[in-house]
Amino acid sequence: MAQIPEESSNKNIIFNALLKRNPLLVSGMVIAPAVMTADSFSGAVTLAAAFSIITFFTLLISSFVPKKIVYAVRIIMYAFIGALVYVPSAIALKYFIPDAIDNMGIFFPLLIINSFIVSRSESIFFLETKGKMMLDIIFCIIGYDAAVILFGIIREIIGSGTANGKIIGMPLVFSAFSEPFGGFILIGIMAALLRLLMLVIKKFGQK
Amino acid sequence: MEFVKNILLAAFTSVIIENTVFSRALGTSTLILVAKNRKNIFGFGLSVTYITAIVSVLTYFVGKLFDLSGNSYIYIPLVYILILGVVYILTLLCLWRFAVTLFVKIRKYIHMSAFNCAVLGAMFIISEYCETFTDYLVQGIGIGLGFVLAVYMTSVVYDRIYSEKTPYSFRGFPLLMIYIGILSMAFWGFSGHIANF
Repeated sequence: MAQIPEESSNKNIIFNALLKRNPLLVSGMVIAPAVMTADSFSGAVTLAAAFSIITFFTLLISSFVPKKIVYAVRIIMYAFIGALVYVPSAIALKYFIPDAIDNMGIFFPLLIINSFIVSRSESIFFLETKGKMMLDIIFCIIGYDAAVILFGIIREIIGSGTANGKIIGMPLVFSAFSEPFGGFILIGIMAALLRLLMLVIKKFGQK
Repeated sequence: MEFVKNILLAAFTSVIIENTVFSRALGTSTLILVAKNRKNIFGFGLSVTYITAIVSVLTYFVGKLFDLSGNSYIYIPLVYILILGVVYILTLLCLWRFAVTLFVKIRKYIHMSAFNCAVLGAMFIISEYCETFTDYLVQGIGIGLGFVLAVYMTSVVYDRIYSEKTPYSFRGFPLLMIYIGILSMAFWGFSGHIANF
């Protein structure tokens, strides 16, 4: 029986999706909504929910688009599927989190063609099975959600001195981190820390 | 004279003061990919500008045909995606028919220049803030040129950011984000913000 290649074992797919190739902190995907809307825990949770719903269902439906259709048409089909998935997602989000649409503004519909969907819609043609593809997508979504929620929490604490809206008595508040440029810088710092963590994990693994 | 002055002011605003990447982070992921290859920057930038200009004109007519208030947020993205798809396909067909050399050159990245947050975001921003046909067109071109400026400013430091001399933890993407953050701070100052921190 053929041995499963190291790169495509389930454990590796999960590890890569969550840490090694984290969509936000390593691959630099879907940065705009994170920088512009995830400036607090609640903002980050809303973004994570919207991103998860739209991305998962768009990629799930897109996986049925046959490869024989030319790439130029496939890319339009992915975007169109995203726009169709957006309709029930917008209605559901409005129902469960009434302020979500207003808070996210234009960054909610922009999730339709987020860079993760654009890059991952083609991954079905490179991974052996649909099961592995879905595993990769689910854990990438979880990896993005975890990173964006952590980003929102840190940003709220250092930018506003609050945790989920409650004042926590921070001695010093850097409101610059609530601005878009602060968001960019914080993503950079978090990405560097994740790389350092990966280095430590690698060294620990070698020992 | 007043008309020309207004156009120049609107163009300056959309390219510098309200730069799509540095003030709204739109198209940052695309910028990171494009800035890697300096050869493609202007070709890519021109195709983004061309697409934003065309779709912003079409967005003007969408505003005339549809009511953009109330529950329009549910179906308008679908309309915008259809517009983008039609513009993209027609552009590819025209290039394939009339400019084969150009078609071969840009077919690798034309999909990225059409389907990215900067272009779709431009359609939403323009429909929200612009009123006249000229406003739509000028803002559309301005947003595209603003994106080119952002890509160029990012690409000039690419080699240093990826240099072996840069500490490993910060090399590449982390430092790129910090650099974009610093540029974004400078552009934030352009728009008249006063720091209160």
